Amino acid sequence: MHLTSEELVDIAEGTRSENSAPHLAGCHVCREQLVDLRSMLSAAKDVDVPEPSPLFWDHLSARVSAAVAMEDDSAYRKGSRFLPDGLRVLVDALMSQLGGRAFQASVVLAAAVLLVVLVGGRRPAPAVTEAPVVATAEPRVDPWVVPAEDDASLTVVASLTDGQDLETVREAGLAPRGSAEHAVNQMSDSELRELRRLLNEELARSGA
Amino acid sequence: MASSLTWTLPGSRPPAPVALPITHAMPAVDSRSLEDLGERELVEACRAGRPGAFDLIVERHRRAVYLLCYRFVGSHEDASDLSQDVFLRAFRGLRSFRGQSTLATWLYRIGVNVCLNRVSAKDTLRRLTTPIEAQQFVDVRAELPSDLMLRNERNARVRAAIARLPRKQRATLILRTYHEMSHQEIADVLGSSVGAVKANFFHALGSLKKLLAETA
Repeated sequence: MHLTSEELVDIAEGTRSENSAPHLAGCHVCREQLVDLRSMLSAAKDVDVPEPSPLFWDHLSARVSAAVAMEDDSAYRKGSRFLPDGLRVLVDALMSQLGGRAFQASVVLAAAVLLVVLVGGRRPAPAVTEAPVVATAEPRVDPWVVPAEDDASLTVVASLTDGQDLETVREAGLAPRGSAEHAVNQMSDSELRELRRLLNEELARSGA
Repeated sequence: MASSLTWTLPGSRPPAPVALPITHAMPAVDSRSLEDLGERELVEACRAGRPGAFDLIVERHRRAVYLLCYRFVGSHEDASDLSQDVFLRAFRGLRSFRGQSTLATWLYRIGVNVCLNRVSAKDTLRRLTTPIEAQQFVDVRAELPSDLMLRNERNARVRAAIARLPRKQRATLILRTYHEMSHQEIADVLGSSVGAVKANFFHALGSLKKLLAETA
């Protein structure tokens, strides 16, 4: 009985010795197959892969990183379904205008606006008469605090704005070119100090 | 990403300072340097959104993934594109990675699927019959021009023949010959048995002989 394909492969690769298959010595068909297998293995192994430039690997990493970042943005788009209509429109508009880092920065501002609106909107009407203060062992519940876990939009915004600072927002240039905000964003520290001084001077003069 | 974030809202201050705690439900993050993390911990760090964790996975496996793709397509540019695709799919599927195989095996599995699905044998053949790009990269300083020409011609024929192999045979041959994977590892990648892998390998080498004979 001839050797099986598994046995021939094992012998051709050297994981099994020829002596372990006495059949080989007397069977020219199996011996021929073994020779062919070894010959093709050798021919295949000789085909080398040209080595890319050493710089290529970092380039590949950068490409993957950029693709993953885009994937994150895309995932955010899907997540924006859960935002309130007003904010979603704002974010989508920003997304179409800006990209990548600029987009993230813009979300910081959007988040700030959203929070002010949300918290402002939920502010309870001032009580006409103050209720008597009753000492209680329960922790005080602050009506101004919006529990994040109750509001999916806040969680989305928080995850997107985490790690963003004002500098990033400023660099993103959220304010349109030509606007006063844009001009202020472009000012150096000394120019900002001078602007603040002039404004204070003006306010003091007008009695504000 | 930090595990909590506190918003302070100026201009609407109640008696107590306004603080809006937002807590993300995130797993505890290993505070060790990413470089010190093992494979499983690195995957966990990725899932937890730790910056740089996925980059490190890419760095550790990019060469193997690229070489795998190159073996399938025979073109640097296409191999680069496919490698990117493999890692992107890995990123998307990281949550489903259960650690039942090594990360390398899992990436190979994605790689083989991407390559087999995206690249038709016809496309590969077209590229492999013009191996100009390959000639530019190989160190030819120690070789006579005539030898180099013969070697390039022989290699191109073998590449073209491999490209014409049936899908599973091609994948088996590539993983076994060029990536030195064990039959068991190949079985894991291809979702088959060791016996099937050995049979595929045997038939791949037999088919290779026939195809080379046709073009001789």
